[in-house]
Amino acid sequence: MGGSLQIQPAHLGKASIQVKAESNRDALKLLVEADKNAGIIALTGVDLGAQIGLLYHIRTNGAVITLKSEVPKESPRIPTITDIIPGALFHEREAADLFGVVFEGHPNPARIVLPEDWSENLYPLRKDAKIDNATVKCESSKSKPEPVPPQSDGSLVNIIIGPQHPALLEPEKFSVKVNGEIVKQVEPRIGYVHRGVEKAAEQRTYLQDVYLVERICGICNSCHATCFVEAVEKILGTQVPPRAKYIRTIILELNRLHSHLLLLGHAGLEIGYETLFQYMWRDREPIMDVTELLTGNRVISSAIAVGGVRRDIRESDVPKIKAVLADLKKKMALYRQLYTNERTLKMRTQNVGTLSKEDAVKLCVVGPVARGSGVNIDVRKEEPYEAYGEIPFKLITYNTGDSWARFMVRIDEIDESISIIDYALDHLPAGPFRVRAPRVVAAGEAVNRVEAPRGELFYYVKSNGTAYPERVKVRTPTYANLPAFLKTAEGGNIADVPANFVSLDPCFSCTDR
Amino acid sequence: MHFNSGACNGCDIEVVALLTPRYDVERFGIKLEPSPRHADVLLTTGAVTRQCTERLKRIYEQMPEPKFVVAIGACACSGGVFKGNYNVMDGVDKVIPVNAYIPGCPPKPEAIIDGVVKLLNSLKEAKTNGGK
Repeated sequence: MGGSLQIQPAHLGKASIQVKAESNRDALKLLVEADKNAGIIALTGVDLGAQIGLLYHIRTNGAVITLKSEVPKESPRIPTITDIIPGALFHEREAADLFGVVFEGHPNPARIVLPEDWSENLYPLRKDAKIDNATVKCESSKSKPEPVPPQSDGSLVNIIIGPQHPALLEPEKFSVKVNGEIVKQVEPRIGYVHRGVEKAAEQRTYLQDVYLVERICGICNSCHATCFVEAVEKILGTQVPPRAKYIRTIILELNRLHSHLLLLGHAGLEIGYETLFQYMWRDREPIMDVTELLTGNRVISSAIAVGGVRRDIRESDVPKIKAVLADLKKKMALYRQLYTNERTLKMRTQNVGTLSKEDAVKLCVVGPVARGSGVNIDVRKEEPYEAYGEIPFKLITYNTGDSWARFMVRIDEIDESISIIDYALDHLPAGPFRVRAPRVVAAGEAVNRVEAPRGELFYYVKSNGTAYPERVKVRTPTYANLPAFLKTAEGGNIADVPANFVSLDPCFSCTDR
Repeated sequence: MHFNSGACNGCDIEVVALLTPRYDVERFGIKLEPSPRHADVLLTTGAVTRQCTERLKRIYEQMPEPKFVVAIGACACSGGVFKGNYNVMDGVDKVIPVNAYIPGCPPKPEAIIDGVVKLLNSLKEAKTNGGK
């Protein structure tokens, strides 16, 4: 590629490579050819003054490689990469929304996170964006309605699900095109929960940001906090004490336990099996109690701090935690039996929404969705963080790729989580649980990944030598998994849409940020 | 009925927890209605994003009279941690009238029950005093 490619020392994941905008596609092709399982994690836009930096974070051989390109701010244009990596579809739409970058050749360059009535030339994440709260907020009173697709076109009928719908806990909208009972196409509209967290993170200090990013998602809150804090610690060079690492691991696994129980119960609700929902949520409550015991809060734990954790584990609490876990382990036997033997459950989930391994790789899905299709990716194994490198646990995969497989992955992972917490409690190192970290962070940048309950969570943090970050980018697991739903719903029965959808464990407060 | 107008799911899972065996609000005669047209009380969570504003208004308008709105969580009460962000309206009461505020991040299920029961009691009082 003659001079257009320049490899820089590894500070962004495994390596970061500077490429010129025009040879961006060639470099990507090389990466994809070198590793068939390579996929895009995220596309970060950064305002560099006269330029807009585009950072393509690529997952290859279990590590992150970042390709950096720059486009002029006056006319930010770059060719699309969706034909090389189909999973980049939504990432490019988001960068177009928030930075105004035009991706030439993108198949559907529509808005994705911002409202339809957002001003044409106002890109909120550019540093020079003049967002006048007064005008932005009063404009919405005369907000123009979203375009309503026609009720039917030809032989296809359009069914709109959402934004408020009994089957949806969160506001989002899907237009489902059906021919009789068969789904032909699903078009999502997200952004109903877009709160502008990435911009808000730039306006708050690192200390405040820990509390802000926790509130991106109430379910996997500790994962967000840990992922952000680890990225900051990478820039600072902070050595976290081993005891803190173990306590963080315990809190992260408690997060996974309650999230998986929540989802498996919610799945019961969606397929018309309400008893299962009531039982699983009943058994989820003790986990909430343990979280409260450890951190003082039931849901948003606020336990993670830069340099360690906010609270130590009391010795007297350890037996209480172990008793709750042992009890849950016993109860899980019943649920495993239900999911493997119960006829109704199997009929509603087996061979529903099947995602082949090839498609899973192509669409860059993560977490239990990928593992249900036989792709063995798990950040806890690929790049062990916290205490995961020292704790033995199994990586769960199923090969059938249907909704049932995705539920079974989670059932098995609950058992693994219980044994991880047990092991961590037994091997809790002595020593401090927190070190003091400076509040001002020297200039630098870091990427970090954490395996959240829904899959790989990705953060990019860029600091500028002040107490405020320059840029915080969040790529959440549901954002990566959504294309899988669109793919698997096509050709299926409309009645299977809820079961298929819920098997992704969608979380839109994460997705929209 | 319950509508999330831009919440982080934290309050939402606590609202759902209310329906499950430990808290079981059906014993107070409270039931989750899927449609606004059948609902008496609207539980809202979240700081109301711009895109949700019109939908929240529509849902409120669809509810039959008399109707009441409960704002659950710091974000629904005032915008909370997201106050001042470019895409949020800072609280439910900027969009529709609110009858009860339940602060907390997220409020514990006990706190939500307490708030809703207080609202019910205030309605009883209003009724004995000749109100609606």
